[in-house]
Amino acid sequence: MNDSEQAPLISDEGEVGFVDYQDFVSKEPFQFVSGGSIPELTLRYETYGHLSAAKDNAILICHALSGDHHCAGVHGIEERKQGWWNFMVGPGKPIDTTRYFVICSNVLGGCQGSTGPGSINPATGRPYNLDFPKLTVQDMVKAQSLLIDSFGIDRLHAVIGGSMGGMQTLQWAIDFPQRVGRYIALACGARHTAQAIAFNDTGRQAIISDPEWKGGNYDPQEGPAQGLAVARMMAHITYLSDVGMESKFGRKRRSGDQSREHFEVEFEVESYLRYQGASFVTRFDANTYLYLTKALDRFDLHSPESLDVTLQAVTAPGLVVGFTSDWLYPPQGNREVVEALLRLGKDATYAELAMDFGHDSFLLRAPQLYELMHRFLSR
Amino acid sequence: MKAIDKKRQADFQIIAHWVNEGDRVLDLGCGRGVLLEYLKQKKSIYGVGVDIDLDKILSCVKRGVPAYQGDIRAMLATFPENAFDRVIFSRTVEQLEDPDAVLAEGLRVGRRVAVGFVNKAFWLNRLNIFLKGRRTVNEVYPKPWYESLPANPFSVAEFEDYCDARRIVIENRVFLSGDWRSECSRFPNLMAGYAIYDLASID
Repeated sequence: MNDSEQAPLISDEGEVGFVDYQDFVSKEPFQFVSGGSIPELTLRYETYGHLSAAKDNAILICHALSGDHHCAGVHGIEERKQGWWNFMVGPGKPIDTTRYFVICSNVLGGCQGSTGPGSINPATGRPYNLDFPKLTVQDMVKAQSLLIDSFGIDRLHAVIGGSMGGMQTLQWAIDFPQRVGRYIALACGARHTAQAIAFNDTGRQAIISDPEWKGGNYDPQEGPAQGLAVARMMAHITYLSDVGMESKFGRKRRSGDQSREHFEVEFEVESYLRYQGASFVTRFDANTYLYLTKALDRFDLHSPESLDVTLQAVTAPGLVVGFTSDWLYPPQGNREVVEALLRLGKDATYAELAMDFGHDSFLLRAPQLYELMHRFLSR
Repeated sequence: MKAIDKKRQADFQIIAHWVNEGDRVLDLGCGRGVLLEYLKQKKSIYGVGVDIDLDKILSCVKRGVPAYQGDIRAMLATFPENAFDRVIFSRTVEQLEDPDAVLAEGLRVGRRVAVGFVNKAFWLNRLNIFLKGRRTVNEVYPKPWYESLPANPFSVAEFEDYCDARRIVIENRVFLSGDWRSECSRFPNLMAGYAIYDLASID
């Protein structure tokens, strides 16, 4: 057909600019789904835009495994790196901060300011470490709901997230149907494939077998840096794709071909991954990595009942987006969620973007994703 | 509405007439979701569109029509029997890779199936081939063969033969003349420019 509808050009975009994080503190004991509790809880979060008087314009963004609450803007003039979804969030962007009040919080169990295994247990005065209760995606969502309560927001205009954030998004739609106006889940699925669990466990084993892990009771200044770096390197490969890596690195060599040591960095891709591993260690906690990956492996909308039973609770219209080159959370897993929603007569849309950059495609600026989010949020 | 849209939407009213209030409708090859939007307004249906093209899905999202991007046959396979009251193929069958299997799936998933198609044996099409040796180019199909999607067009007579062979029940049929507007009833295989069938399984 030749009846292309002219896509409206996105008008002038702005930046959210300087942002600061806040801490939400709940002094109430927090009960975990699989048992166990903590006496109090902190969630670190950022907000952009303004909450309307009717408190009906809030969007919650859920971050991925290695992400955090800082999804847009910069913290200071020195900081070169913008928030992880800066191109998506801001004035005139699909998640338009002139219209919406955007909230993004570091998850429960995280290590960027929210209560997690590395936090001090008030009962003992020492870090929880492995005494931190078993964590699930449901717990993350329940904790976020307390944060949303603290704003006096009954119903979110939308919940949005990719990867682990997508799973939280689906969990929101299931656990709090009355509070979700619509949802967008990107690059996720109803549960991990055996392959995804296998990769996660290999990462966990790299951490656990590092002698510096010390049964989880490492000094926060030290810890299993080597194990965590290897876990991150391997996980990072699963976020990319063969084609993406080939086009980005190919067989490019670091400095000619003159590495003197046999196993020194020789190829660009080695250098890139080692850098990813090394820089991850400076911002991420090993025990958090263990807890979050385990929470993801356990996440399963097919259980205890079938997917069609689990999703029965959903009432909000949803958009699920798969990415063709994503081999960690392949399109099939995303599609399956929408197929079940449609079997149940729900308002759900499935779109599949042909992007080369694997699982991390949702973090890249692409006109089609832009357009999709923009249209779904403003429809 | 532009004349071309009017022609493109030739089967809307007829299909809308067959659809019941509040039906669950599946539109296969839904394009930009215009038919589903129309049915939603006219008959308060629950509708889902399927299309392979992201650009079309984007338009559906804009219209607020739930849509599924993917392969029709694979998608149908995930639904139980009679999951929908009505399955629609509007100018879709001619572009299917395995029309026989997909129509059978449509009849399994839907209680009733509407099929709208351009009649290959329409007199003007015959004349163009006979006299000019060229296929008909019109406002709905303006592109030359080398810029068009692969198509497997068929005639009213061929479709009737097919329904007969597969023991598909034809509940209703409507033929439109060359303008795709006025109904025609005589010699449809020759006189109909567009045909719309309302089908059901035998039991």
